[in-house]
Amino acid sequence: MTDWRYKQNRDGGWAYNQGCSWTEPTAFVLLAQIATKIDRPSFEAGMKFLRSTQRSDGGWSPHPEVTESTWVTALAALMPEEAIGADRVKQALEWLEGQTGRESTWSFEFQQWIHGIREKNPEGWPWFPNTAAWVIPTSLGILAFERGLTHGENRSLRGRVNQARQFLFARMCADGGWNHGANRALGRDGDSYPETTGIALLALHGASRAPMNINDAAAIERAKQAARRHLAVCKTAEGTAWLRMGLAAHGEVSPLQFPPVSRTTVDAALTAISSGFCNPLLS
Amino acid sequence: MKTTRRQILGTAAAGVAAAGCGYSLSLLGKEQGGTPRRPPVSRIPSRVSIVRASGYTMDVYDAVYRTVAEHRLDVRGKRIVIKPNLVEFDPDTAINTNPLVVHAAFEAFRKLGAAEVKIAEGPGHRRATLDLADAAGYFATVPKFEDVFTDLNLDNVSKLVIPRPVSQLQSLYLPHTVLDCDLLVSVPKMKTHHWAGATLAMKNLFGLVPGGVYGWPKNVLHWAGIAESIVDLHYLFPRQFAIVDGIVGMEGNGPIQGTPKQAGVLVAGSDVAAVDATCCRIMGIDPKKIEYLRIARGEENLGESAFHQIGEPVNAVRTAFELIDPWRQTIRAV
Repeated sequence: MTDWRYKQNRDGGWAYNQGCSWTEPTAFVLLAQIATKIDRPSFEAGMKFLRSTQRSDGGWSPHPEVTESTWVTALAALMPEEAIGADRVKQALEWLEGQTGRESTWSFEFQQWIHGIREKNPEGWPWFPNTAAWVIPTSLGILAFERGLTHGENRSLRGRVNQARQFLFARMCADGGWNHGANRALGRDGDSYPETTGIALLALHGASRAPMNINDAAAIERAKQAARRHLAVCKTAEGTAWLRMGLAAHGEVSPLQFPPVSRTTVDAALTAISSGFCNPLLS
Repeated sequence: MKTTRRQILGTAAAGVAAAGCGYSLSLLGKEQGGTPRRPPVSRIPSRVSIVRASGYTMDVYDAVYRTVAEHRLDVRGKRIVIKPNLVEFDPDTAINTNPLVVHAAFEAFRKLGAAEVKIAEGPGHRRATLDLADAAGYFATVPKFEDVFTDLNLDNVSKLVIPRPVSQLQSLYLPHTVLDCDLLVSVPKMKTHHWAGATLAMKNLFGLVPGGVYGWPKNVLHWAGIAESIVDLHYLFPRQFAIVDGIVGMEGNGPIQGTPKQAGVLVAGSDVAAVDATCCRIMGIDPKKIEYLRIARGEENLGESAFHQIGEPVNAVRTAFELIDPWRQTIRAV
C-alpha cells in the first residue's frame, strides 16, 4: 500500500515528482485513496488544497501559477460531493459546460463554411481553453458529466455526453484504439497509444450500458481488442493502468503480473486506482 | 544572491521594474508595443560547423567536443540545459535524437567548465517521458540519467508575457528549468516535418512548452500559428546553441512516420536559425521557403553568403531528403 503522506506537500497537494502541488496528481491521489484506503488526515488535507484552489469562474487551473481554468476541472468534478462540496462540483460542471473544442465553435464552423466545408464536429473538450478537443480531456469530461447525471437527468449534460461519445467514436484510429485524437493526418492513419486507448474505453463504459447502434457496439469490440493488444506489450505504468481500467469497465479483469515502474505520482495513483476494489472515476 | 533569468523575465512580464524590463526586452530583441520586430542580424556571417560522422560510435564524443570547443562558448560556471527531441517509443527508427549525441554534448559542456549541465525535454505526444527516454536508450547511455533529467511537461512554470509577439500568443507558461539556464542547447534530429517542412533546432523548442499546462499535443501553438510560434519561442531564448543530429535523419512523412535517412553529419552553431538553414541545404531544401526561417531571419539573410561554414562544405555532404506532397513541389532547392 502506498504511503501517500510521504510525498504530500505542506499545502495538502501533491507534485508530479517534487516541487509545487499540481491539481492533476492531487486529484488522482485522492481518487486512489478512495479506490484503496483513505488516510483521513492526508485525504482531508488534499481536499482542502483542492477547495482552496478552485477559481472564481468555477474551474481549476493545473498549477498555482496558471491563471486559466483548464481540463483538470473535470478531475475535481469527480471528487465525492460530500468531500469537496456540492456547490463546487456544480460550479465545475457549469464551467465544463461552457467549454468545447474550438473546431466545434460557431465561428470556426462559419470559417469552414466559407471555404465550402460543411462538416459538423461533435463536441469534445480541450486541454486548454480555446483550442481543439482531444481524447483525454473529452474522456474525463464524459466521466465528470456522467457523475453529474447521477443526481438527476439533465438534458444539457446528457447532450454533451452523447456528443462527446460521438467525438470519441469519430477519432478512433484504424487499429481500433485511440491516440490523442489525430487518427488521420495527410491521408495517413495514425497509430493508437495505450493510455489514450484505455481512457477512451473507460469513458465509453456508459455507452455500452445504454442501447447502442450496431456501429458503436462494433467499435467498442474493436477497441477492446486494441486494448488487449496494447496491454500485452505496454511497459508504462500510466498506459497499463488506463488499459486495465478500460477493459475492467467492460467486464474484463486483467491481473497485473509485473507492475511497470511508477515514474510519477500520477503513475502510482493510477496504478492504485486500477487495482482498487472500486473505480471512483465511474458512476 | 545571483539573479536568475526567470526572475529577470518575470519582472519584465509584470512590468514592475524599469531596469529589469529594459534588460529583458533587449534580451528578447523586441520593443514594447507595435508590430513584431526581428532582432538585428549581424553583418558578420554566422559560423556554422558541419562535421562528418558516419555512425553512432564513440567517435561522436570527440566530434561533438571539438565542434563545441571551436565555437569558443563562454560556458565556465554557467548552467546549461540540453534539449533533445524525444517523440516516440520506437528505438529502431530515427524519430528521437540519438542518446549518444546528447551524452556527447553533456560531456563536452562539462569538460568545458559548465557549473551544471541538465538534459530536459517535454514530449508533445507521449506523457510517460521517462519511459520514453528509457525506450530511446537514454538510461543505458547517460549514467544516472534520472538525476540529470527534467521532464519539462511537469516542471514548475511561470508565465511570460511575449512583448510584440509574431504569433497570436500573448503570453506563455514556461518551465523554470529553461528559464533559469544560461545557455539552451537544442539537440534535435534532422527530420522532415509534414506541417513545417523541416523540423530542426528551432522547431525543437516546441518541447519547452509544458504539457502539464497546455496538454498533449501542445495545440495552443498550432492555433497561434506553427511557424510564428516557433519564431516567438526562438526569440524568447537568445542564448542558444544547436547541435543537429544528422547522422541518421528522417525523410518523407516526418516527424514520426518517415523513414531513416543516412546523412552522416552533425551541424552546430550559436546562430540557431543559421544552423537550421544550413541543415535545410544539406537536406536539399531551400531555407528561404521554410516559413519560420523566413520570419526569423528574413529572406535576405538566408543566402549562403550569410553563413560562414566551418568543416565540410554543404555541397560535400548534401543528400536530398525525400519530401511528401505538398512540400515536394514547394520547398525543394533547385
